[in-house]
Amino acid sequence: MSRPLAHLSDEALVALAARSDSSALAELYDRYGRVAYGLALRILRDEALAEDAVQDGFLAVWRTAARFMPERGKASGWILTLVHRRAVDLVRREERRRGESLERVPDPGGASVEEDAWLRFERGRVQDALRQLPDQQREAIELAYYGGFSQSELAERLGQPLGTIKSRMFSGLARLRELLGEPGLEMSWNP
Amino acid sequence: MESLNLHELTAAYALDALDADEARAYEAHLAGCERCRAELASLGEAAGSLAFAVESPAPPARLRAAILDQAAAERENVVPLPVSRSRLFRATACAAAVAACAVAGLAIWVASLHSRLHNRQALTWTVVVHGGRGTLTVSGLSAAPSGKTYEAWVIPSGEAAEPAGLFNGGKSTVVQLTRPIPEGALVAATVERAGGVSAPTTTPLFTARV
Repeated sequence: MSRPLAHLSDEALVALAARSDSSALAELYDRYGRVAYGLALRILRDEALAEDAVQDGFLAVWRTAARFMPERGKASGWILTLVHRRAVDLVRREERRRGESLERVPDPGGASVEEDAWLRFERGRVQDALRQLPDQQREAIELAYYGGFSQSELAERLGQPLGTIKSRMFSGLARLRELLGEPGLEMSWNP
Repeated sequence: MESLNLHELTAAYALDALDADEARAYEAHLAGCERCRAELASLGEAAGSLAFAVESPAPPARLRAAILDQAAAERENVVPLPVSRSRLFRATACAAAVAACAVAGLAIWVASLHSRLHNRQALTWTVVVHGGRGTLTVSGLSAAPSGKTYEAWVIPSGEAAEPAGLFNGGKSTVVQLTRPIPEGALVAATVERAGGVSAPTTTPLFTARV
């Protein structure tokens, strides 16, 4: 498959999508569709619902690209946030799914070797950082981000005051930010 | 909710861990709080990286097609701006095509478009332009009647239509356009007498700006 826009930055692609260039949307999907789908599947544990969340998220990209503000963060983060938000909305409606195991994932496959290497690297990097968080912070972050639980639900589920949950999420994310910002981790990657 | 408390919601907002009312209150607060905007940009990046920690199976190919089809359907009446040597546009025949024609100053062509399209099913077309050369793919267009042909046109911005090839329709037709396609040009097709003509004499079946 030829990818004529492969040389452009994510942010440039969003700017083109804002000007109704559908090939820019296609390129963004080719870059982040797989990660978005994996994320939605992890949250929803249902392939059809995960597809719905990814489709809604990318159409939100298409509809609101003109409002994307680069100074507020990277385009990739913005896109994945839009997908994540849809997935969380859906899982909150589909209450029953959240009790199921977090571990089952379908067989990965279909990406190029290059994409695979990049995704494996990113996955390893973020998983390493997560492992370094104190247990209670990691628990709060994982249940919120991958489980779709709201902070109030978490307070109830974990039997903790709301303030404690807020503080665990904040400290955990702040620590994660530091860990992911450490350049040494990137230097160690040899593809 | 007090402003002091709202500051504390940044991490939960970045993780989508607020309920709908809290999220709305926080967003309203965000508009006027520079500190929270800066913090959200930075914590949001860490939250976004969590997406990459998950095993990512390949999504089904139909998902990509569904997204791009829906996106095209939503913007088919918007004229895309040319941005690279290789461009792909797709449209579906419906009232929006009339709007696209009007935008392009071709209103005179489209007066009877509705009557020509009303009994046609799912006419779709795609124009791929690469290096200034175009390929038109049409499906859902019935074969041209006896003594008639379909004729493709390239209409450079602000200029007269130039004949760009003849084709007969049928289930799916691929036409190599015989004229170079400058940026911003329209590609259109009309029904003409067999053998073709040098200027269009009927309303276009469709137009696409490339």
